[in-house]
Amino acid sequence: MTSDAVIQRFMEMAVKAAAKAVRVNSAARLNEALPSIIQLGDKAGPRIFCPRSTEKEKAVIIPEDLFTTDYFDADVCIEEVSGAIAETGSIICTSHGGKAVQAGLLPSHHVAIVPQDRIFETLDDYFESCREAPPTNITLETGPSRTADIELTLTVGVHGPERLSIIVF
Amino acid sequence: MSRSTTAIPFRVNTARAVCDASLRQAMDYSTRTFSAKRAEGTAQVPLEEWRERASAIRMQVLDNLADYVDRFSANATRAGAVVHRAKDAQIARDTVAAILKDRGIKMVVKAKSMVTEEIHLNKRLEEIGIEPVETDLGEYIVQIAGETPSHILAPAIHKSRKDIGRLFADKLGIEYTDDPEVLTKVARRVLREKFLAAKAGITGANFAIADTGSLVIFTNEGNGRMVTTLPRLHVAVLSVEKVIPSLADLSTFVRLLPRSASGQILSSYLSVITGTRKQGETTGAREIHIVLVDNGRSEIVKGEFREILKCIRCSACMNVCPVYKVIGGHAYGCTYPGPMGIVLTAVLEGMERAHPLQDATTFCGACVEVCPVKVPLSKLLRRLRERRAEQRLTPLVERLAMFGFGTVTQSPALFGLGQRMSWSVWPLLKDFSRSKLFVRLPRPARKTFKRSMS
Repeated sequence: MTSDAVIQRFMEMAVKAAAKAVRVNSAARLNEALPSIIQLGDKAGPRIFCPRSTEKEKAVIIPEDLFTTDYFDADVCIEEVSGAIAETGSIICTSHGGKAVQAGLLPSHHVAIVPQDRIFETLDDYFESCREAPPTNITLETGPSRTADIELTLTVGVHGPERLSIIVF
Repeated sequence: MSRSTTAIPFRVNTARAVCDASLRQAMDYSTRTFSAKRAEGTAQVPLEEWRERASAIRMQVLDNLADYVDRFSANATRAGAVVHRAKDAQIARDTVAAILKDRGIKMVVKAKSMVTEEIHLNKRLEEIGIEPVETDLGEYIVQIAGETPSHILAPAIHKSRKDIGRLFADKLGIEYTDDPEVLTKVARRVLREKFLAAKAGITGANFAIADTGSLVIFTNEGNGRMVTTLPRLHVAVLSVEKVIPSLADLSTFVRLLPRSASGQILSSYLSVITGTRKQGETTGAREIHIVLVDNGRSEIVKGEFREILKCIRCSACMNVCPVYKVIGGHAYGCTYPGPMGIVLTAVLEGMERAHPLQDATTFCGACVEVCPVKVPLSKLLRRLRERRAEQRLTPLVERLAMFGFGTVTQSPALFGLGQRMSWSVWPLLKDFSRSKLFVRLPRPARKTFKRSMS
């Protein structure tokens, strides 16, 4: 069980990296939080991808007319990720269990459900845990996609998502 | 090794660079910003402890480089990659070209990789009709401008937003704008199409893990992730010294690299890729080729400049270098600019070609203070100067002057005579010499300080 202090630290660091972070304690709370996170209620609703393969993903309620199974076509990806690292405020996405790591990369908004018992305190804790047999792809995602290649002006959403929202559940 | 005996025209390049007001302004602003961010990012952490650890790990690898590279190769192969060893730049280029050509690839998306610049890969690919598309925004800008990177981290730092606006209007047919946000969105749209169409991707690697055969790639934009997850073929080109022993060692470098580069706690994306897509998986290339470029490094690691191979390419040494800050990367006329670049270019390309770069040092030691892996840059740069003198690569006038100075300073009598004469001889020198040097320098004192005191 991850301590509250570690969860708190993770959320602070994620916000520092320009992600949004909330914590919920039930599926009902998760679904209450979602509409404001993905800004439902806009004129044309966003296309939402969700793998619906884990318990928590299955609990996510998405209006069927907005739901898509094709992440290439989606504006939003909602998925449960493998875990998180408090030290850096990163979420951990991996190919483990058949996950498509690129699903969180292509849409302009990535909504990551972080299992609260899988938050590592430090980078060392995480890499030690997988050093023997790492999954094919591990991606630590820290804030939105960004560049400063034009006159060092920070711009978000170059190739990856413009927005990263984290829901600790 | 690509040995050319034509010396880099560093003085000419520098003269041009210092006259370019907009370049100087851009360099001043960017290096100041990066240095300030680095200072901020490293202020509250046990930096010294991390640097010691990182330095020790890098030395451990260099002391057993061949073993670590073998271990990495074996484990990468076990994970499903095909490993190629390239002894020199030409073999590396040909290897990549053959892999792509054999599979009928016409266009390839690239994430930023300095070693592909070192081996001049893009030119070779274009020669055989393959279009390499750089996908890092800065690299993309310099590529469509037909230039080379001026900074290893921010390749287009020498260009203003107006330059880039005009470039995009000209090359991409969009309406002129100098709004970085709009320009970035244009690049996103253009490059997204390329990502989706590409059948192959090329990356470098920031690190390679010996124990697991993994490739480690840092990006902020997400292009590294696109390149390694969308096309079915991934070709990674990396130099042999990028290996570190295990994933457990990675944390130290994850802490140091982004902080030293841009002050970030961590880049937006850090990918650790271990082999090809396995049964039942939906992420990763189906075919991975790793081209390990030696290009002289297995010799360099045995020599007196071996410690330059500890370098992790963070660019902190450039951002604090008083010379780089003024002249920028292009003036160096080689792949790797700045303090680390002077040393690496000398050992990669040979002294005949690289020796003029040694004028780009002030021995202020700022680079040594910021280096996250403790490369003793001052020591290496001083040793290079010694070697330049030993090899008689300095201009004849300088050698004669140094010989004269050496002779005089070794003899108290001659030295005293010189001191007494300098005041009277000075006006003559000023008249006879065409050098502006004597006009600019003040006339020596009639009496030395010591004599006026006694």
